[in-house]
Amino acid sequence: MVKPSFSGLNAVQRQSLVISLTAFFTGILLIALVSVLVLITARGGAYFWPEPIFAVSIKSDNAQQSKTLLANVFDDDAQQEVRLKYADAGNPYGTQLLVERESVESLSVALDSAQIKLNDGRQVLAIPDHVITPEGTNNQLSELTRVMQKVALLSEKITTLNTQFLAPIHEALSRFDNRDVAADAPAREKRVAEFNQYQQQVLNLERQREQYRLAVKFADGQSFIIPVSNIQSVDFVGRLSLLEKWQVAISEVIIFLTESPKQANTSGGVFPALFGTVLMVFIMTIIVTPFGVLAAIYLSEYAPNTALTTVIRVSVSNMAGVPSIVYGVFGLGFFVYTLGGSIDSLLFSDTLPSPTMGSPGIFWAALTMAILTLPVVIVATEEGLRRVPEGLKAGSYALGATKIETIVRTVLPIASPGIMTGVILAIARAAGEVAPLMLVGAVKFAPALPIDGEFPFLHLDRQFMHLGVLIYDSAFHSQTDAKSASMMFAACLLLLVVVFVLNILAVLLRTRLRKRYLEG
Amino acid sequence: MLTLFKNNIKPVSELTSEQTAVEVKDLNLWFGEKHVLKDITMRIPENKVTALIGQSGCGKSTLINCFNRLNDLYDGCSYNGEVIIDGKNINSKKVNVSRLRAKVGMVFQRPNPFPMSIYENVCYGLKLQGVKVRRHLDDAVEKALRQAALWDEVKDRLFDPAMTLSGGQQQRLVIARALSLKPKVLLLDEPTSALDPLTTLFIEELMESLKKQCTIVIVTHNMQQAARVSDYTAFFHQGKLVEYADSDTLFTMPEKKQTEDYITGRYG
Repeated sequence: MVKPSFSGLNAVQRQSLVISLTAFFTGILLIALVSVLVLITARGGAYFWPEPIFAVSIKSDNAQQSKTLLANVFDDDAQQEVRLKYADAGNPYGTQLLVERESVESLSVALDSAQIKLNDGRQVLAIPDHVITPEGTNNQLSELTRVMQKVALLSEKITTLNTQFLAPIHEALSRFDNRDVAADAPAREKRVAEFNQYQQQVLNLERQREQYRLAVKFADGQSFIIPVSNIQSVDFVGRLSLLEKWQVAISEVIIFLTESPKQANTSGGVFPALFGTVLMVFIMTIIVTPFGVLAAIYLSEYAPNTALTTVIRVSVSNMAGVPSIVYGVFGLGFFVYTLGGSIDSLLFSDTLPSPTMGSPGIFWAALTMAILTLPVVIVATEEGLRRVPEGLKAGSYALGATKIETIVRTVLPIASPGIMTGVILAIARAAGEVAPLMLVGAVKFAPALPIDGEFPFLHLDRQFMHLGVLIYDSAFHSQTDAKSASMMFAACLLLLVVVFVLNILAVLLRTRLRKRYLEG
Repeated sequence: MLTLFKNNIKPVSELTSEQTAVEVKDLNLWFGEKHVLKDITMRIPENKVTALIGQSGCGKSTLINCFNRLNDLYDGCSYNGEVIIDGKNINSKKVNVSRLRAKVGMVFQRPNPFPMSIYENVCYGLKLQGVKVRRHLDDAVEKALRQAALWDEVKDRLFDPAMTLSGGQQQRLVIARALSLKPKVLLLDEPTSALDPLTTLFIEELMESLKKQCTIVIVTHNMQQAARVSDYTAFFHQGKLVEYADSDTLFTMPEKKQTEDYITGRYG
């Protein structure tokens, strides 16, 4: 049967039409893939790049007078308005303004103004004016570096006092309080005196530190005072050379990777989320790999070839298609409440009613993800086991190997690339999953990492942060804050990098195994 | 030289049980409903090469799989009768199958080296037997490879992957692997059908030298090969042992018409 549209074409034309059609759709696929990568990389990368500061003059509507602002300008050509992120005396830490493109009178790079990043994650756009020190009020701006070093030294002293003296004394005091023995009173008194003495030292140092301040001015001439101890960095963005901009960007990347989120996940770093993601995936892999491999071995090597086995096999493959939120609900209902609750009543009954294992935590999250990714591992492993040639198994049996020896010595090594494939897929899935994790342990902000120096070091009951959840959370800030849209993209970029790195590692391992066991 | 060996070939009927390596008594075997081996009774002589010939599907491979109970691996296989090796009926439930298989070596139609190094391939069976001392393993590997006439070709690359060897070398490696366990009986299931004529000749010469140490049973489709290498030949047809005699007699003066037709190539 010849289709009407094909009727006018000869065989060669018809073939080339088919080829161009298929190529066209492949092209569209490529474009989609590349644009995802480009968008994420560009928007994510922009988060780290120092944003130039402009002096913007805006026509005011009522008084025919223009107003000047220091602002980061976000100009989207598609829109009527220009988005400004500016700071003034009323909003020293910045706010946003949408202005009509026509009402912008002039736009010039403000060379004197700086982006002043604060330790709490906020930032100030202003013109640094002078430095205030205990010795004098009108120090040159060039003194700033020296003063910052001085303040850093003071801060270091305070930290040392806090960690080395105050914290141990505080701990000792709470031990006394717990024991509540009258005979301890003199020793306790002594400790209290020591504590007060050190605390006085700290207070003195802090007071001394507070005397170092930076005075800045906004575009309208109003001044604003910032304690130097609160300043993380001062960058005169307009004066930076390309190399210096790169330096700023790299230090931003380092902060992003090593610090905690600040200002409700709109600035600072994502280290806890990165750490939580990797740790959760790691625990999940430890659980799911032996579980899946053993189940697959039973199904493909031992299970009798009956209808029941077929039913099990089909349901395992179908489990891979169950929506992930269902696993989340299961994890919450079964693992957290039922299992965790029982563990609490058995082992941690002294702390009840406040739950220990009976609340969402990283272990339950890892276990839930293990259940979620189990079908993937089982199916891939079975596939790998099926590829082991019967002749090799027979050869092994003929040399006197038992079934278990044959499986361990011959079948599993040959199937290992298949097993790795399953684990790779499981890792990629678990690293990017969000919905079930929010039910069983991932939170927007966790006060502590799941690993620390306190016994038992790995706290499986703690809630944790996850990159996917962080992205989900920061997506809701994007409407109100220009920069956090980029924070979301930056976290996306990082998640992509994490998944890519994990994948590449696993692929390398798989290639090595394949070389060793398949090609010989 | 060949005539020298052929001279002490006794007729099958005169074989005593002391000279028998494998004695088969009333062996019947079914795959599900299919009756594959029917009342096989034969004595396979010690330190001789016995060839099993016959059409595809006549049960000769199944028969040698009975000698190391490899048929146990297949679902739906059932059998009765006796196969006596070393004075014991190996079809008995009490037999340790792993130990039996270590004593009865087997080489398959397609070379099936494990995806490991040459060295590891040869000591696979020994390690299963619990040999751990490196020096013993080294000695056994060298000895087995020498017996399989492969030593000179691989002695400088023992730790290369076995897959890098040629087909003929792989088959000899597999023979060395079987020999490393010093088997009493070596079963060869069409060992040369996947190999070129020169390599085939090589392996045939190997069999000649190996029969001093062990009894060889070879399944082959190649009539010339059976005549060249074997001392005794058994002809099977549709699961039945049709004729069994020393090779000289069987190939020159077959008793049965069926045998004559098959060996002269007139058969279906």
